[in-house]
Amino acid sequence: METATAAAPALAVADLALSYDGSSPVLEGVSFSLPAGSSLCVLGPNGGGKTTLFRALTGELTPLRGRVDIDGRPAYLAQTERTRLDFPVSALDVALMGSLANGRWWLPARRSDRAAARGALARVGLEDRAEVRFGELSGGQRQRVLLARALVQDARVLLLDEPLAGIDPASRERIEALFRELRDEGRTLLVSTHDVDSARGFDRVVCLNQRQVAFGEPATALSRDALEQTYGDEIVVLDDEADGTFRAVTVQHHHH
Amino acid sequence: MILDYIRAVTLLAALPSPGDLVELPFMRTALIELTLLGVVGGLLGAWIVLRRLAFFAHAVGTATFPGLVVADATGFSATLAGLAVALGYAGGVERAGRATPADGGGDHGDVATALALVVALALGVVLASDVFESGAAVDRLLFGTALGLGGADLLVASGAAALALVATLLLGRAWTAVAFDGRGAGALGLPLRVADLLLLGLIAVAAVAALPAVGALLVASLFVVPAATARLLSRSVVGLLTISVGVAIAQGAVGLYVSLWLDVPPGPAVAVVGSSLYALVTLTRAALGGMTAPLPIAEAS
Repeated sequence: METATAAAPALAVADLALSYDGSSPVLEGVSFSLPAGSSLCVLGPNGGGKTTLFRALTGELTPLRGRVDIDGRPAYLAQTERTRLDFPVSALDVALMGSLANGRWWLPARRSDRAAARGALARVGLEDRAEVRFGELSGGQRQRVLLARALVQDARVLLLDEPLAGIDPASRERIEALFRELRDEGRTLLVSTHDVDSARGFDRVVCLNQRQVAFGEPATALSRDALEQTYGDEIVVLDDEADGTFRAVTVQHHHH
Repeated sequence: MILDYIRAVTLLAALPSPGDLVELPFMRTALIELTLLGVVGGLLGAWIVLRRLAFFAHAVGTATFPGLVVADATGFSATLAGLAVALGYAGGVERAGRATPADGGGDHGDVATALALVVALALGVVLASDVFESGAAVDRLLFGTALGLGGADLLVASGAAALALVATLLLGRAWTAVAFDGRGAGALGLPLRVADLLLLGLIAVAAVAALPAVGALLVASLFVVPAATARLLSRSVVGLLTISVGVAIAQGAVGLYVSLWLDVPPGPAVAVVGSSLYALVTLTRAALGGMTAPLPIAEAS
């Protein structure tokens, strides 16, 4: 029985259809499963359904069809420009919010909760920034504070919304190293992005454009055909090599 | 020149002794009432400002106006009438807000709020002037009174203060997390709807408790202005709560004194004192801006 538990996926999604009005789906045909300790890149254009999928995984959105099986309660890490930067909380306060997941949110934080929050900040390399206001940290540091909150929450599955958008290369390397550490501990990471190049570093990729276009290892899922179906006219393929490898960049069309 | 001098002396001679606030029985009652409401407004105001519910807090007070006019004319309890309208309104806003995603902000039906505000004022004025011919009572209902406050009002205000304190202790951590990052807080397993519903309901109850003293139109002077001032001065949620309560109590006492001096209802006096303090803090901060603004930490690590 031990082996059966170990083999159980950390996250399984079967024929999922999601809708905001209860009738017309905005995302459908999503089916994939992930072993514990793996990473998934959720790739797609803006409006392709990345955030909608995350909302279903956190339980905020009830599926129209299909099902979601997930190991424990996933942590959700918003883009830090979307979290309130003028909010009067320190890095430690934010990390400490993770302890609210213990279900006793009406009680004050315990000493052990504070110790856990400080420990988590140390793990992300921010112990000396504990008292700094969240909004005064750099973008990369804020993302690491949200990772610390997820560590205090002890989430087995982490959902990260464009965590590397607008972050300088040094911070990026640091965060990617943390991602590897978290995976080595058996945590499962789902990272949404619209950046095709960064998708190649993940164990799996799922391409979404109102439906699941492709799922699998980057080498197979990121086919030219799949990318064109995912991005439509927003994609430009560069360096089309004879051996089948290629580079692609997306062009963001802004409709105002 | 001489006339100006005489005018100034007369105005100063009319300046009441601050001791009157505690020595005159009706003023003492009003001072206790405003101090209790300062605790309510200071605490809830902090959550109102963090959750961006200022417009709602203003609207929920105003929404009670037609209810108060009817209660006043028919002899029905103003507290119960106000409570029924305010809670009904809060429930409606919560329903409207639920349709919008939990992005941490959520507009809580801003358009619906504005519409309800206009309808409530119009309905109240029509009821007061054409149906019940309430006349002078309208002033009291809209702007409050320092004269007519009694034991029942103090009891209601004490109850509201106790509720605000208990709710802040029990729900403060959850409210902070939800206001900071709604979707992240939902993923922590926090009951978002319950937290929102309790906050909206509590604001409604507290607004009704504040009606006798500051009136339907100026509830925001107690529930928004002190916390908005404190927001400029605080770097932590505990600091925000503390400063907010302090400012609310102080503006209540000073406002009451001004109301005694100039013989105006306490609502407008408290509102003017509170808003002046907010303006003063904002201007001082702007003047010192270069020196006190927090320096963003822009290092790469």
